[in-house]
Amino acid sequence: MLPSTFEDYLEAILTITDNGGRAAALEEIAAALGIGKEIAGTTVASLVEEGYLERAGGDAVRLTGKGLSVASQVARKHRVLQCFLTEMLGVDADAASKEACTLEHGISDETIERLSSYMDGAQSPPGRLGRCRGRDCTLLDCKEGDTVRVAMMRGPRRHRRLLDLGIFPGEVVQIRRKLPNQSVVVRVKGCDIAISPEIARSIIVESCP
Amino acid sequence: MRFALIGNPSVGKSLIFNQLTGLGVEVSNYPGTTVELQRGNTCFQREIVELVDLPGVYSLEGSSDEETLVRRFLEQQDIDAVIVVVNVTRLERNLYLLLQVAEYGLPMVVVLNMADEAAKRGLEIDPGPIRDLLGVEAVQTAASQGKNIDRIIPAALAASSPSMADIPYDHHIEAAVRSLGKMFGADRKESIRALLGFGDNPELLEAARTISDEIESRHRMTVAQIIAANRHNFAHKIADLTIKEETELPQTDPDSILTRMIPGMPILLGILIGMLLVVFIVGSFLEEMIVGFFEVYAMQPFIALGLPPLVEELGVSILLALQAGLGIAFPYVFLFYIIISVLEDSGYMTRAAFLADNAMHRVGMHGGAVIPLTLAFGCNVPAIMGIRLLRSRRERIIASFLVTMVPCSARTVIIAGIVASFVGIGAAFSVYAIVFLLILATGLVLSRVTPGERFGMIMEMVPLRWPDPKLVMKKAWSRLSEFLFIAMPLLLAGSVVLGLLEFFGVMALFEELVEPYTMALLGLPGYSATALTFGILRKEMAFETLAILAGTADLGAVLSSLQLYIFAVVTVLFVPCLATITVLLREVGSRITLAITVYTVALGLLIGGLIHHLLS
Repeated sequence: MLPSTFEDYLEAILTITDNGGRAAALEEIAAALGIGKEIAGTTVASLVEEGYLERAGGDAVRLTGKGLSVASQVARKHRVLQCFLTEMLGVDADAASKEACTLEHGISDETIERLSSYMDGAQSPPGRLGRCRGRDCTLLDCKEGDTVRVAMMRGPRRHRRLLDLGIFPGEVVQIRRKLPNQSVVVRVKGCDIAISPEIARSIIVESCP
Repeated sequence: MRFALIGNPSVGKSLIFNQLTGLGVEVSNYPGTTVELQRGNTCFQREIVELVDLPGVYSLEGSSDEETLVRRFLEQQDIDAVIVVVNVTRLERNLYLLLQVAEYGLPMVVVLNMADEAAKRGLEIDPGPIRDLLGVEAVQTAASQGKNIDRIIPAALAASSPSMADIPYDHHIEAAVRSLGKMFGADRKESIRALLGFGDNPELLEAARTISDEIESRHRMTVAQIIAANRHNFAHKIADLTIKEETELPQTDPDSILTRMIPGMPILLGILIGMLLVVFIVGSFLEEMIVGFFEVYAMQPFIALGLPPLVEELGVSILLALQAGLGIAFPYVFLFYIIISVLEDSGYMTRAAFLADNAMHRVGMHGGAVIPLTLAFGCNVPAIMGIRLLRSRRERIIASFLVTMVPCSARTVIIAGIVASFVGIGAAFSVYAIVFLLILATGLVLSRVTPGERFGMIMEMVPLRWPDPKLVMKKAWSRLSEFLFIAMPLLLAGSVVLGLLEFFGVMALFEELVEPYTMALLGLPGYSATALTFGILRKEMAFETLAILAGTADLGAVLSSLQLYIFAVVTVLFVPCLATITVLLREVGSRITLAITVYTVALGLLIGGLIHHLLS
């Protein structure tokens, strides 16, 4: 495994060169990392020696195939972590970026995979139902036969009976019937429950993983 | 010894109660409420055991009348044990109520009913986990076959200790329970209930409210949601351990045809119309028999006695009242109640409510309103009682107006007896058409002008099953006796008053006074006003009275077709009967009752006048 400084260099070059499409001048690299040109020159030299970079005329360098794969991996870790920190934990964007820079070097590939798929499961679902862009999906957006999870209920104090019949956030329900007039029957805990459209509208759902 | 039966709606609780108690069941309203409570006795080893059948509920923490009643009943703790009846085919959801009951700390027995149904579905039930986790005895029964019912009472007598069920709540809730316990010495049940907003200690409630606000700001769920979820999850765990699914046997699903627009809607209409036709045809056949029987074996022999005129008049009035009452009660009302009971017990009523939900929305109510509205065809009285199943006052007001306008069996008698027999079948249906249009228009207007919030329907589709004939008859009979109890005394009194007024010539005076008005407005002779007035006592009395006053049963000979038609329309719309007014007062209060009365009188006179002036 490369020292974290090396990974930072490769990641910076990847960003500068738009995914390794062109060569990067030493000046650009130093500027992106916020360090002196001298120090940058030494590290770049050893990266060239290790085979991650190749000279491209003058003091410019280019990512090799090996360099590109390491750089993209690090960049992905950075993205996933930053997303997790901002979206899920609510950390401020700048702070999240800095923190991600530190965390990205220590985290294993597998953990990143899991974190990424965890976020997929938690974030995208309402969108994945594909019928309600830009707003929350409700029971009314589901089709007959869909199986969905209750995410939230608007006006939770009004519909005590829904709770008693087993419809509460986190419960998985199946849409058994949906009439053209929007009345629905859902199956929950083996029982069929008929719900009026205006109540179904207040039940926000997400797709099941 | 006193035991209470408790359970979800339609788990076979009434059937078990029925099999345990047999005859001598006392139906009473719980003090201060209008919810029915059944009490009965059963003997076990020469000891009398009293059983109370509580109404079916889903939870003890809701706000409906039934839930409040059951909650208050359990709080009083004057029973020796609770018998919780559970439908094993819907075990998980049923266990949710069971866990709530368990928290009340009363000795408890669990009846795992519908074991036969479960076996049919390939479910294998092991009551072990329920015994172990809840610490209560569990009896497996099949009430529809009467299997193991005899084991319930011994188990209940043996039950001495409360369930030791300990629902694992979320740690925030547990912490709240601990701190409420420390601060107020409240036990677990009290604390949980205080968090949900129940209880009578204001300080405890205040503290619980603060804590629940705190919990709610941390979770994205309300305390009620968290507690419900915890209970459901525990129920899920127990259900998982109890039920071993052997093989999922293929099931036919009648709902796939009953709850779709097509063919569900045509089936619903077919059933409603078929129901009316059966009541019409069979009812009028039976009525003729009963009335004829009375005529030959009571009326004629009585008149043949040749008693003094006043006594004879009184006797005839009483006989007439009995004749009318029994002639209506058995053929129409009883028949109708049998059909309604079948629809209810078979579970079809909930399908009807689901299908009708949207149509009912147009007139400002949710689908459940189709039940009282259909009931109203039999008699407005039970229908008005049935509007309790609508939750908001707004819906109840709208429903009380519309139900009162629905032509009940008594008004059907008028339509059939006057219009169908003297004017024609087509005309009879046109009366219905007019009434339905007016109901629709009233509903559309009321749904716009009635103040209040709109509520929707949340209703379990109860499993479809064959209704138990004995239970259906019993239910129909108890409703009929309620009807007889309310209507018969009024009918007798009214009839006697009418007879006396007639005898002393007051009627003739009244008729002379109103004749100019009725002639001008409706084109009807004065005595029809008397008939209309007496129609307030019992609707079909308008018909009887008209026949008596006209001096002949062949009304076609004394009144023109148009006059008969107008009389029928006005009577059908005019003022709800006295019995309906009585229940209206109880259900919606005097102001709304007065509004309904004024509205129907005005509507009846207006429509009658319009027909008179347009057609004559």
